[in-house]
This record gives sequence, C-alpha cells and structure tokens, in this order.
Amino acid sequence: MIRLRAVFSKKDRAKYISHLDLNRCMLRTFRRSGLPIWYTEGFHSHPYFSFALALSLGYESDCEILDFNLNEDVPLNEVRDRLNAVMPEGMKIISVAERKLKVTAITNAEYSFSLISDNPESLMNDIKSLINREKILIEKKTKKGIKTVDIKSDMEIISCEINGKSVDMVMRLPAGTQTNYNPSLFFEALKKSCDMPFETAKIRRTGIFCENNEIFS
Amino acid sequence: MLREKIEKHLLEIQKPSRYIGGEVGSVIKDKSKVDVRFAFCFPDTYDIGMSHLGMKILYSLTNERENYWCERCFAPSEDFENIMRQNDIPLYALESLDPIKDFDFIGFTMQYELSYTNVLNMLDLAGIPIFARDRTEKLTQIVVAGGPCVCNPEPLADFFDLFILGEGEEVNLELMDLYHEMKKQGASRKEFLRKACHIEGIYVPEFYKFHYKDDGTIERLEVTYNAPETVKKRIIKDFDKVYYPENFVVPFTEIVHDRVSVEVLRGCLRGCRFCQAGFIYRPLREKHTDTIVEQTKCLCENTGYDEVSLASLSTSDHSEIDPMLTKLLTYTAGEKINLSLPSLRVDNFSEELLEKIKRIRKSGLTFAPEASTQRLRDVINKNVSEDEIMNTCRIAFEGGYSSVKLYFMMGLPTETDEDIKGIAELAQRIIDLFYTMENRPKGRGVQISVSCATFVPKPFTPFQFEPQDTRKMIEHKQKLLLDSVNKKRVKVSYHDADVSILEAVLAKGDRRLCDVVYTAWKKGCKFDSWGEHYRFDKWLEAFEECGVDPSFYANRRIEYDEILPWGHLDYYVSHEFFVRENKTAHEAVTTPHCRLKCSGCGVNKEIGGRCFD
Repeated sequence: MIRLRAVFSKKDRAKYISHLDLNRCMLRTFRRSGLPIWYTEGFHSHPYFSFALALSLGYESDCEILDFNLNEDVPLNEVRDRLNAVMPEGMKIISVAERKLKVTAITNAEYSFSLISDNPESLMNDIKSLINREKILIEKKTKKGIKTVDIKSDMEIISCEINGKSVDMVMRLPAGTQTNYNPSLFFEALKKSCDMPFETAKIRRTGIFCENNEIFS
Repeated sequence: MLREKIEKHLLEIQKPSRYIGGEVGSVIKDKSKVDVRFAFCFPDTYDIGMSHLGMKILYSLTNERENYWCERCFAPSEDFENIMRQNDIPLYALESLDPIKDFDFIGFTMQYELSYTNVLNMLDLAGIPIFARDRTEKLTQIVVAGGPCVCNPEPLADFFDLFILGEGEEVNLELMDLYHEMKKQGASRKEFLRKACHIEGIYVPEFYKFHYKDDGTIERLEVTYNAPETVKKRIIKDFDKVYYPENFVVPFTEIVHDRVSVEVLRGCLRGCRFCQAGFIYRPLREKHTDTIVEQTKCLCENTGYDEVSLASLSTSDHSEIDPMLTKLLTYTAGEKINLSLPSLRVDNFSEELLEKIKRIRKSGLTFAPEASTQRLRDVINKNVSEDEIMNTCRIAFEGGYSSVKLYFMMGLPTETDEDIKGIAELAQRIIDLFYTMENRPKGRGVQISVSCATFVPKPFTPFQFEPQDTRKMIEHKQKLLLDSVNKKRVKVSYHDADVSILEAVLAKGDRRLCDVVYTAWKKGCKFDSWGEHYRFDKWLEAFEECGVDPSFYANRRIEYDEILPWGHLDYYVSHEFFVRENKTAHEAVTTPHCRLKCSGCGVNKEIGGRCFD
C-alpha cells in the first residue's frame, strides 16, 4: 500500500460542492483516472479517503489536503496528471507526495476575504477597534452545545487594507483536531460590534500550517 | 451577467450545486457556432430530473451534432424560486447559464401527471407565455413535450406548440433539422408547425378541434390545415444499434438514482391490463448481452460511478438474462462496482438467478403480485400464481432474507372486499411459510411490507374504459385492509386517495382540462407529486370555477364506441384489442404473454409482421 497526500485547490463553481459531496466526487474522480486505488479490507470494502480539514460551503481554497492510498507505485507526477485530466471544473491537484506528517500536526489555517461596504473607511475603523479589544468573545456551536470562546488570543491578522469598496483581510485562525475557528466567527463578532452593514466575499483558505508556522504537507 | 446574479444568492439556499452547472460530463459549446439551441426541461427538481434516463440519452444524442446544443433545465425548489422571482432571475439552462427564453426549443419530458403544474410554473419563470396561442408569430421559441404522458396530451394541449409521440432518438433530430432549415428561410411559427405535423410522431394540437355532445362526451374531431387524421408514435426498429450515451453528467449532490443506468430492453411482453407502459412501449426489443456489457463498461469508466443498474420494464424477461448477468458480474465484481436489478418478476425468479443476485445485494426483496386472489390476478392479467409467489418467498427465505416487500393495487376492476382481505391473508400465509421452514434465517422475525397503490385507469390500456373507485370506496378499502392485517409482522402503506383521483382525471382528461390546470397553478398548485405541496382543495376549487366535473373523467365508465380524447393518436396497439382485452378481463380470463402466443394487439402489423424471431 502506498500512502499518499494530495494538495488541491477548490475554486470557482467547485466552491458549491459541499464537504459531504466532496468525498463522493473524489471517489468518482479517482475511478475515472483509472489509478490503482487501495480499498479497505473490511466487510464493506471502500476506498480510503481522508480530508485533513473540512471546508465550509462557499469557501474557496488553494490548499486542501486529501490523504489516499494506492495499491501500486505510480510516479507522483503521473498520479497528479491523471487526476487532473478527469477533475471537475474548479478543482486541481497541485502536488502529490508521500504522507509524512500526521494530520494532528496541523495547528492553524490562513484565510483571505473581502468585506464589502458602502463606507469601507468606517468599516476599517470598526475592524480596528474590534481587533484591538482584549478579548473577542463569541458563541460557538460545538458537538456538546453552545460554548463561548475568545477568538482574539489565537487570531493573527496578516494584512488588512482598503481596496475600493472593500476591506481585504488575511488572517490565521486555529485549525486542526484541537481547536477549529472558522472566519465566520470573526464576521459574526464584527457584525455585532459595528453599525456599518457589510457583505463577505471571496473567502478563501490560503494556507494550512503546523507548529512554528511551517506549511503542512 | 446572469451568473453573477445567481451566485450572489446561492449560499442562501439548499444544495446550491444544483443550480450552477459545471458538473463533469456536461457539454459546453461555443454558442456563436451553434445553430439550434434546445432546453431539455424536466418539470421537477434537479435531484429527480437528473435521474431520468431519457434525458441522458437525448441530451447526448443531440449534442453529438456539432451545431445543435442541448442543455438541461429543472424546476427550482421553493427557496430558490422565491429568490429568482425577487431578483428577476429568469429560468436558465445549466450549461450556458443563459435564459431559456431565447432558446429555439423548450422541450419538456412528461413522466407523470402530477408534474403538469410545474410546466406552467417553469414557463412562467422563464418569461414565456403559458398558452401557445399567446406566443408570437415568430419562429422562436417552440415549446414541445414528449414522454409517456403525451400519449394523452389533451390536458396540456393549450400550452404546447407540438408533442412528440413515442421514442425520440430519431424524430427529435428530424424535427430540429426541419426547424434549422426553416429558420434559415425566415419562416414563421405557423409555417413551421404546418410542415412539422407531417413528420411521423409529431402532433400539433392546434390543428385539431374537438366538438362535444351535450352529455360532455366527444361528438367529433375536426382536423384542419390538412394535418394527418391520426398521428403515429415513433419507435426505434433496431434497438440493439440505437444510440446510447458514452457519458452521463455526473452530479455533485446526491440524486435519486445516482448511478450508471443501462437500458437492457424496451417494451414489455406481459400485457398486464392496468399497465400503460406495457402497451405504449410495445413491441419488446432487446439489446444483446455484448452491447449491454460494452455500454456498462464504457459508462462506468467515463463517469467513475461505482454502481450500475439495469433499466427495463422487466429485466428477467431478457432472453439472455443468465449469460448477461454472468458476464456483467464478472466485470462489476472485478471493478468493485455494485450491480442493482430493479424490475424482476416473481414467476421466472430461479434459484440460479437468486444465487447471482445474492452476491449483489443484501437488502430486502420486492415483488409485485398486484392483486391478492387468483381471480383478480387473472382479471388484471398478472400471470403469477400463488404457488409461484410462495415458492419465490421460500427461495428468498432460504437465501437468508427475512423481509419481503409486496406491491398491490387497490380499486381494481371487479374488486370486492374479499380481494382486499385477501391481501392480509396472503401476507399471513407468507408469514406462516416463514415459521414452518426449518432453515429460515435465525434470530430475526419475518417482516412483510405491503405497499398499496390506488388503481388509476390509464389511456392505451384495456382498463382505459374503467371507472376509478370513488374516494369513499377507496377509503373504505384502505380501512378494511388496515383492520385485516397482522400488525406485528405486516407494515401497510398506501397512497393518498386524493392524489390518485387527480392522476386519473389528468390521465384520461380532454382539452377542457387545460383551463383547470391553469387555474390550479394560478391558485398556487405546483409540485403536486410532493405530499407536502399537494393542495387538493385548490384543485377542487379550480374544477368548480372552470365548470369541470372531475368524476366525469375519473368515475365514469367509457363506452367502447365513444370517441376518446386520445383516439386520434396511434400507439400501434389497436382499439379492437383493448376492447377484446377489457371483455376478457371481465370474464377473469388471462391472455398469455407475447413469446408464448401472439395476442394480435396490432403492433406486429406496424413493424412488418413479427415481433420476435
């Protein structure tokens, strides 16, 4: 069994493929590629596919992680090319490599997005005053119920600038098996703290990282 | 751009990938190089419409022609319809995301009567006049329909420019070729329709005018513009060689039938007297085993599906069923593909066949005896004996199954309370059989699911003359059944009587129903086949306002010599045959299936002598 990891992008119309549908979509893509997929040996034999992080419906991504296994050795570039030849529009395998790190090594993820407003200057001020607070408390739905979390301590703003009618931001948030914050928590906090109505657009995951801000691969 | 407008709202609705296209297998063309554009519309949601095999066939077939472009279009769910209406998003096709209003053809497939109001709603969403008479003199757009329901298209006649009768693989292209030619000449709609009605299989309703008697029955049919007196359906003569797609559009979201579907035979040789499909698709034609295996492989490889099902009216009637399954299973097992086999009959269900199916699926088995007593099964010509049903159940139980699903109909001609109680008795005999078997599956009790549909008399069947049970009668029988069954072991489900009544009216209705369909839609009726959307009260209001009595269509016996609303349409089976079969039914005498003995239905004359070699 050859244990591999693919990094793939999911953009344009592909952002409307839900996480649940993505699994089925990948299975069919692999079957179309004719690659020797490894199947589990249990009673209900099925291919092994594992996505490192779920991506919200409507978000784009440059860096989704898919783990899968093959039965035979196939040159990694060939794996990538054969998959790309039969990928749905908007999705593309960027690289295929052997799996080294465990998925549990993931610590955070980076997102870029635009906040569109009629008055971006005023929105910018609201954003600044929000992120300068000591704490940003927000209610988060978890499996165990609703929990109040402070997203401020783990949030890192990479950039924040006005671009025409929008404020474009890049931020890193905790991700992985321990704590997972979706940028929607930030949008919610901002909506509550400012009077300026805004719309979110072009939300995209731009990086997945492990300890010391190393790119996860 | 429409796309931007659509995307702005996509995240506000359920399953957005249904509305934006981009699926693997969808066909994109350069519209500047396309001469004729066809919007293939399914009058229900994406999840249902995308499961329809006919659309897959005709979509690929049309798109094989470089200068024709066929696109898909479905009814939006309520959440998205509201957004479309609020934001002036017209109904669009999924490939180009262009409004279908500007297409040359708007083609609907009519698969069930309860989708009629959806057609009107979709035309309205598209911005196309609902009534054909309100469309312009210009050639575009031509609104057409095909599918089984158009064997009696009269309740839809006012909304369509033309209907396509029978199988579409040849006639669709002939129609588009004629259109293409006349478009170049700058012809008008009327000029096109006057030529189109001479293509075999094309019915242009506006050239036919009905005159009625005082009692509401049809007095005569007036044919104008030199249109043909009768319109014949189209069939594909060489079914083994007929076009079959090499690829399907593979949806992202899960659809009802999310798998490769390979058609193994068309038509049916059984002649069950209630079954419209059994007559309108005659004669029986098969594909060779090698063709079926080849098409299965090709579609599995191109789509990436890991499930394939064989499509037909009765798969086990295929003359090569055993070698076919053996070959298919060799391929599917090797590729880890699931093979599913709907439409198996009780009577030719051999142990060998079961052995093969057992390798395929572990879920329950479904049989359709349709009626409980031998007398009633003889009336409906369902040639299955009680011994065969019991034997099949025994084989199934021995094979490790402990649940059986049985389909019945209620309200069949000549049916009495004894026949209804007979359903419970038959179920009980199956339960008893289970417990007398030494080698029954251990550890589980037996479960029988009884699913009971209400009989709907349909055109082009020997029962087309029959009245449907009234609502009161249906409700009485439903209660009787519930009171008769062993509630611990038998689960009963049945259809809502109100739904079956409307089905009967629309199935056997005439042109006077067009106004009722329109009025019902105006009152908000749509998605009538979805329990939660069905508003029978609104339909009753519509009947009332239009002065149409639904029981005239549903509950009246039609005389053998009456002029039928579908009498000028020729589906190859003769009227004399239906009369003969109706009389035989009332004598509880069966008619053998076509391979045993030709029953002289008339189809053989149309295809040059013999249905079988």
